[in-house]
Amino acid sequence: MAKHDTPLLDELEKGPWPSFVTDIKRQAEKNPDCWDILGILELSFRDKITHWKHGGIVGVFGYGGGIVGRYADVPKEYPGVEHFHTVRVNQPASKYYSTENLRHLMELWDKHGSGMTNMHGSTGDIILLGCRTEALEPFFWDLTHELGQDLGGSGSNLRTPANCLGESRCEWSCYDTEELCHHLTMHYQDEIHRPAFPYKFKFKFSGCANDCVAAIARSDFAVIGTWKDDIRIDQAAVKEYVAGNIPANGGAHSGRDWGSFSIKKEVIDLCPTNCMWMEGDELKIDDTECTRCMHCINVMPRALRPGAQGGASILIGAKAPILDGAQFATLIFPFIEISAENEFENVIEIIENVWDWWMEVGKNRERVGETMQRVGLPTFIKVMGIDPIPQHVKEPRSNPYVFWEEEEVEGGFDRSVEEFRKRHAA
Amino acid sequence: MGMSDDEIKAAMIEKATKSPKPALYVKDFYKCDAETKPRKIKNLANELVKEGKMMFWSSGSTTMYALPDRIKDEEGEGGI
Amino acid sequence: MGYDPEKPMVDRITDLGPPHYSKFHPPVIAKNKGKWLWHEITQPGVLVHKAESGDECWTVRVGGARLMSTEHIYELCDVADAHCDGYLRFTTRNNVEFMVDDKAKVQPLLDDLASRGNKFPVGGTGAGVTNIVHTQGWVHCHTPATDASGVVKAVMDELFDYFVTMSLPAQVRIALACCLNMCGAVHASDIAILGVHRKPPMIDHSRITGVCELPLAIASCPLGAVKPAKATVDGVEIKTVKINNDRCMYCGNCYTMCPAMPLADPEGDGIAILVGGKVSNSRTSPKFSKLVIPFLPNTPPRWPETVEAVKNIVEVYAKDARKYERVGEWAERIGWEKFFEKCNIPFTIKSVDDYRLAYDTWRTTTNFKYTNAIK
Repeated sequence: MAKHDTPLLDELEKGPWPSFVTDIKRQAEKNPDCWDILGILELSFRDKITHWKHGGIVGVFGYGGGIVGRYADVPKEYPGVEHFHTVRVNQPASKYYSTENLRHLMELWDKHGSGMTNMHGSTGDIILLGCRTEALEPFFWDLTHELGQDLGGSGSNLRTPANCLGESRCEWSCYDTEELCHHLTMHYQDEIHRPAFPYKFKFKFSGCANDCVAAIARSDFAVIGTWKDDIRIDQAAVKEYVAGNIPANGGAHSGRDWGSFSIKKEVIDLCPTNCMWMEGDELKIDDTECTRCMHCINVMPRALRPGAQGGASILIGAKAPILDGAQFATLIFPFIEISAENEFENVIEIIENVWDWWMEVGKNRERVGETMQRVGLPTFIKVMGIDPIPQHVKEPRSNPYVFWEEEEVEGGFDRSVEEFRKRHAA
Repeated sequence: MGMSDDEIKAAMIEKATKSPKPALYVKDFYKCDAETKPRKIKNLANELVKEGKMMFWSSGSTTMYALPDRIKDEEGEGGI
Repeated sequence: MGYDPEKPMVDRITDLGPPHYSKFHPPVIAKNKGKWLWHEITQPGVLVHKAESGDECWTVRVGGARLMSTEHIYELCDVADAHCDGYLRFTTRNNVEFMVDDKAKVQPLLDDLASRGNKFPVGGTGAGVTNIVHTQGWVHCHTPATDASGVVKAVMDELFDYFVTMSLPAQVRIALACCLNMCGAVHASDIAILGVHRKPPMIDHSRITGVCELPLAIASCPLGAVKPAKATVDGVEIKTVKINNDRCMYCGNCYTMCPAMPLADPEGDGIAILVGGKVSNSRTSPKFSKLVIPFLPNTPPRWPETVEAVKNIVEVYAKDARKYERVGEWAERIGWEKFFEKCNIPFTIKSVDDYRLAYDTWRTTTNFKYTNAIK
């Protein structure tokens, strides 16, 4: 039985898209506290303003992340949500679940919290919404003891790493994203649970340049799959596409009549490097000109596959706009091999190089991309101990204001003005 | 001869006690011993939390360290 | 047995990390990992992946409100138990995927999902609108400038046909963040719905002494707009802060540090619309979303202005763009002046960048198109 009238929210029970209002009402039949979620949300819909306050010191003992404190500013009217802290539970890589595991986790959440969740949060975590302070430790105890699971990151911690599903169900993945994600998550448990840095730091792992986890836009450390050899071509399948026997773009455009497939219009002419052409009924690719953008492979997945020699590019420094404006990650390592056999030691070495420098040089609340902006890419390249290459820039600088190190200039900076004056009268 | 871990920790407590700011970033502790690497300082700060001598305050996006009696939450119920 | 508040540290377990993913792979995934050949979307929301072994993995994708109850999740588990050997997965865009190893198992799964009302819409694949990624809004956040779940529900109701079909020139990724901190980084989306505050924080001098550490509040401002000040409360001079309104960009960081500095406001807050971002490197480089509508009011429960604005952009794009062109690629090909004209969106000074690195966006060529903006 509804505890509050919610005429505004009730409007959101209409329409074809699944209604979170209907869902919360269903949950409230089981957990009456959820009526107060609807009540306080209805109040916000009426007032056009939030009714939540931040709480900074709630957490589980010894962890500096994983819990975000939240209190209602109208607790008397809505006592069921007086404390409404968020719990971030570290998701399994790729977000596959057994129903056994998922049911068990939800049973724990029914026992200790509101029963409302986000599947999943922006970081990739399982977000459990609405827990009282005194329930945090018991929930954490049960989570670790019964399920063998753990919290994710928040604050100035390494944030919960996330990956696209990679090789598990995608033919384009150029390395094993879920193994790398899981390995580094385990390797850096301390950094995930306890603050370590000037500000947040995010890893994201995508298997190819389509970048389904938005690594290039959202992560301080983006590992994006690519390959070194040639695109694999099945010429028989090319003929099938040309003949119209296989739907283009994996069937993604089948809802509209776009006319018959044209390999020239849809593949060759849209190639950003113009490195493809037809010779008779054979598709040719000059792979030395290819930038591996994925378009042709996306359009003809049965005819074209990424090369067999997979690996990844490492890009560093993406972030949302606060503060200096949004940044995409900058290409620093064009190609590295990614192998579980060496326990990803080459990736770890790069990560720790970045961290050691950023922890020292980064200002408080400065993302690594902002530190890179502040000191400049040349300095960052030197810090990383790599040679500058044209791949690091879109184009060379257009201003001539180059800083020279004294030792780079013959004879150094110290000169005698007296010697100068002997030849040049003042 | 660098400082021992306990000496660095004592310097960190002193810094947190004397600072006009009730909560400090981990970077604020780096100067407690300039010869010690930031990652080591970070580990020592987290040890102090484990020992109950400091606690975390988190905005959700950043985390700071404070002496338990110098930080408050709006609810005033104390952390754990 | 269970947590003992008297002995919190006895037998405490920490730093376990997540369970290994391999425990949760459905058998057809576990067997064929790394050996997939190709995939095809056979109908909206249904994908088949073919492996070298000849095995097929059929996936049915359903949309979901990201805000889900345990009851809803138990029901997802019921479906997975009945059809998928007890496995399921979630996508990076809050969709749920049910996987079966035989085409014959797809229709019974679809029938089951359809029998459960509108809880599990099948779609979100290919050249359509997939699920909106979003933040918490009024359901849970302390600094939002708008709601999240409510706006998303209203927009998805209106764009529902694009979720269950694949009739657009390319995929359209929509995202919502309820303030400019952008927990759900929306800055590289085809269409971004962004909550914006427009009023600097108020200072509650009567409370500030009790609940705020002034040095932290001052240091929290990314733009140095919070300054120390003095005020008189009940005849007593107290230390407090003041805001340099000209420097404030309404991010709410000070409010997080100091609850005596609230900034949300029913009239001040609303929604900005940004368009043309993309993450994929396909054809063209990743792009940021650009601000085209600086402000729409908060009008719960269904935000008609925002819904109309998003729908209008999707429909103009659907009619005008070429096959494969993302919204940003289309806008760049026709020129942004044409984008504003075709979408009938008034261009305002708010779309001209005056923040850092702004010069990059100023036009420094004689090349332009004549549109109705030139009188």
